[in-house]
Amino acid sequence: MKKLNNYRRNFLKNSSYFISSLLFSSIFKINTSYSKSKLKPRIIIVGFGIGGATCISYLLKFSKNFDIIVIEKNERIQTCPMSNLVIADIIPYSYISHDFDYMRLKNIKFLNSSVKTIYTSKKIIETEDSSKIDYDYLILSPGINFKNDIDGYNHKDRTIIPHCWNGTKDLFKFKKRLNDLEKKSTIIISAPDYPYRCPPAPYERASLLANFLKRKKKKFKILILDSKDSFTKKEIFLNEWRNYHKESIEWIPKSKGGKVTYFNKKENYVKTSNGSKFKADFINIIPNQKAADILTRSKLNGNKDWCDVNPMTFELKNFRNIFVVGDSIDAGDMPKSAFSANSQAKILATNLVNRIYEKDILSPVFLNTCYSFSSSKRAFSITSWYKLNKKKTRIVSLGSSTTKVDALSHQYYDETRQAYGWYENLVKTLYG
Amino acid sequence: MKKSKLFILLILFPFHIFANDIEINVIIENCKSCHGQNYEGNNYIKSLKPLEKEEFISKMIKYVNSNNDHVMSRISKVLNKKDILKMADEIYEKIE
Repeated sequence: MKKLNNYRRNFLKNSSYFISSLLFSSIFKINTSYSKSKLKPRIIIVGFGIGGATCISYLLKFSKNFDIIVIEKNERIQTCPMSNLVIADIIPYSYISHDFDYMRLKNIKFLNSSVKTIYTSKKIIETEDSSKIDYDYLILSPGINFKNDIDGYNHKDRTIIPHCWNGTKDLFKFKKRLNDLEKKSTIIISAPDYPYRCPPAPYERASLLANFLKRKKKKFKILILDSKDSFTKKEIFLNEWRNYHKESIEWIPKSKGGKVTYFNKKENYVKTSNGSKFKADFINIIPNQKAADILTRSKLNGNKDWCDVNPMTFELKNFRNIFVVGDSIDAGDMPKSAFSANSQAKILATNLVNRIYEKDILSPVFLNTCYSFSSSKRAFSITSWYKLNKKKTRIVSLGSSTTKVDALSHQYYDETRQAYGWYENLVKTLYG
Repeated sequence: MKKSKLFILLILFPFHIFANDIEINVIIENCKSCHGQNYEGNNYIKSLKPLEKEEFISKMIKYVNSNNDHVMSRISKVLNKKDILKMADEIYEKIE
């Protein structure tokens, strides 16, 4: 601890620090002398998805003061937001695939690798190629992992229809299988139980698959077999299906035998909790989810499905100077969405800077706005602000509001524009 | 309580969350998610740059008081006039 305090004192004394470049300049009121000292705290960020890239975009202003290393396993980022539109051929794949703007990240070290293990006591991470790197602060934004809790189903099985829930090129395989469907087909989408990434997305997927198959003039029936009895934006989705896909989309809730418990890939059928058997030509199981593998491997989630973090700082509850953001955390009332991860990461990065500079920690407020499309011309949203409870231990919603079910067509169309507007500004900020 | 009385109460004391305990800057950082890092907007979301500060305030107050379904109306419902004035000060001080 003494060593750390000396280290911090030296860093604070020597760091280059210009008040005008700070994130929230009104909050920072200190002046420190400029020195060319090479002593800098090292921040490692694992994952360059929405959460990680947001942290980087906020820390970039300090890249001369901190030694920042980013570790990302992919060479390009493929976002989950908007991916259902790619599946339905409404937008091209290039829209959701992003290069890294290395010019913008010039003061940051970028490693194209993944993390094998985190040695928390030594503050070291080990990468795939067995390189070991020490850190002062570690930010993890690793996405999610999937459960294999449906008998007969294995999410790693390359021969089944991919879930397409993790931003990979499996999306092409999914599209091919969809295109290969005969003139008349039955499709099953198995929707997971809470909590999972992007709660309205299974229902958006059903809507957009229906839209796609209709355009292809194919006859189809989509069964949504649900592990839940309700879902976000339910009334709007049900209304959209009634109006545009009458009798071609059917939602079966858990209470009516919707929860899938068995999958037979050879004969293409599933069984549900009440023993019902459903046969289909295309079975898309979206599995139940949990925190990313690296968190479990490094024992950072305490045998829980999701990580417990301090919502003021996103620091793991039992591990000092390790922060987790995005879908792998238990974020209280906040859904696992790109908008949420973006909002959380802004607070994480800001309060990390505050900690390093020994400033007061900001009391956070978060926003989530989640758009869903039912066709190329119709979208709707749910939005909510969040703050912390009185004890500052949990993120709580201040009440959500959705698009009205009876909104006019131009309002649904306007929401598609808001959705594209949000997405394009987000990826421009994060990926250039 | 009768609906009409509740309505009057809501008008007199609009529900808001941010007055004392939350930095207005934190709210503004969330606005940037859609409006862009420098409020520049894009093909779909209008830029805040051409707006005068007073226009911004007036638009925001309209959103708060509006019953329409626009996403901005829903997002801004939690703000009061004091919050909006603070936001305007911050945004138009820094806008490039």
